[in-house]
Amino acid sequence: MKHAIAVLSIVLFVLAMSLLLTVAGGLYIPSISVRPLAELYLNTTYNPWNREFTALSPEGVTAIVWDYRGLDTVFETTVFYLAIIASIAIARGIRKYSALPGKELGLSLIVRTVTRITTTLIVAVAISIALHGHLTPGGGFQGGATAAVAPLLILVAFSHYFLLKRGVSKDLMLVIRSLGLAGIGIVAIATYLVAVASGLPGFVLQNQPKPLSPVNLPAYLGGQLISGTLWFFNIFEFFAVMAGFTIVFLLLAIPERIARGGGEK
Amino acid sequence: MTEVLIYIGLALIGLGAVSDLIAAIGMNRFKNFYLRLHAATIGTIWGAFVPIIGASLVAIGYEPLGYYRWFVAGAGFVAALLVLILAPAGSHALARATHRARIVRVEPCIADHLDETMCIKGGSE
Repeated sequence: MKHAIAVLSIVLFVLAMSLLLTVAGGLYIPSISVRPLAELYLNTTYNPWNREFTALSPEGVTAIVWDYRGLDTVFETTVFYLAIIASIAIARGIRKYSALPGKELGLSLIVRTVTRITTTLIVAVAISIALHGHLTPGGGFQGGATAAVAPLLILVAFSHYFLLKRGVSKDLMLVIRSLGLAGIGIVAIATYLVAVASGLPGFVLQNQPKPLSPVNLPAYLGGQLISGTLWFFNIFEFFAVMAGFTIVFLLLAIPERIARGGGEK
Repeated sequence: MTEVLIYIGLALIGLGAVSDLIAAIGMNRFKNFYLRLHAATIGTIWGAFVPIIGASLVAIGYEPLGYYRWFVAGAGFVAALLVLILAPAGSHALARATHRARIVRVEPCIADHLDETMCIKGGSE
């Protein structure tokens, strides 16, 4: 009886989904016209002929995130920073510690070899996502989150002490993260400082020249499109997010005997 | 030439579908965790690696894509290579961890050279 109900429900589910697909395909037709708001963004995201209103980035999402609503994203990064600070505060009081001697650490040779190959690939892909954030879908946060998977895999496959021995510690990550955040702050006020120094009106978080303020960061570097502030924001955000997630993973991987005992004094 | 590639690719995709079905039957019918893991890995290698290679070959053979078909095929080959490396490592780690932690006994068992005490002859049925 139970079997019959299970089979019947699966058949009904498949039929319902196919009916939905068939009907939905006929009923919902996406309209050809674009909404006015979307039209505004599409017209100004990458528009070299309208330099006073464009973000000069073919990737609309990154342009909106770091240019149109840049202040919002800076505050989001700050929230993330505070969250990491809170998790560090929870793990306070844990002193230096090292591996128990004579214990085999990490998973088997097969897993470690595969991890060696894949972590290299992951870091390469992450850097590519971050550096191409203003050209293709992706950006600093996405690249940083991808790069943080590499230390996570190493933590699982090689053990916590493998990272600590090579100097990837909470403190180093905190320094990288703070440098990344300082970089974001400097880029955010760079155009403003330039404008003040040259006696022109300027805005915080300004990317390309605006009608009131002609200062801007270079949109091209050596002939390559870097979209002014977007490229720098993505690079610094990459380091900040990568280091932030790595801190959390390192804290989560602290062995229980140390978390309870407070480590070696 | 391109038609041959498309037919080879379609054959590989078909082989992948059949393998997935066999792996699914194995997942349901095999008697213990380690054997079911074996069936699951058949599903990822023959049911994912092989059809991705097939799809890449179809993409190479599909002329209307023009220049971009090489990008599609390249991405497919890279994804297939990753699946080929990662799937065995994952199931190996799973099997090793469960066996070392003595979570799952081997039953029915003929011989277990790693740990004789984990081997339950005859099984529960």
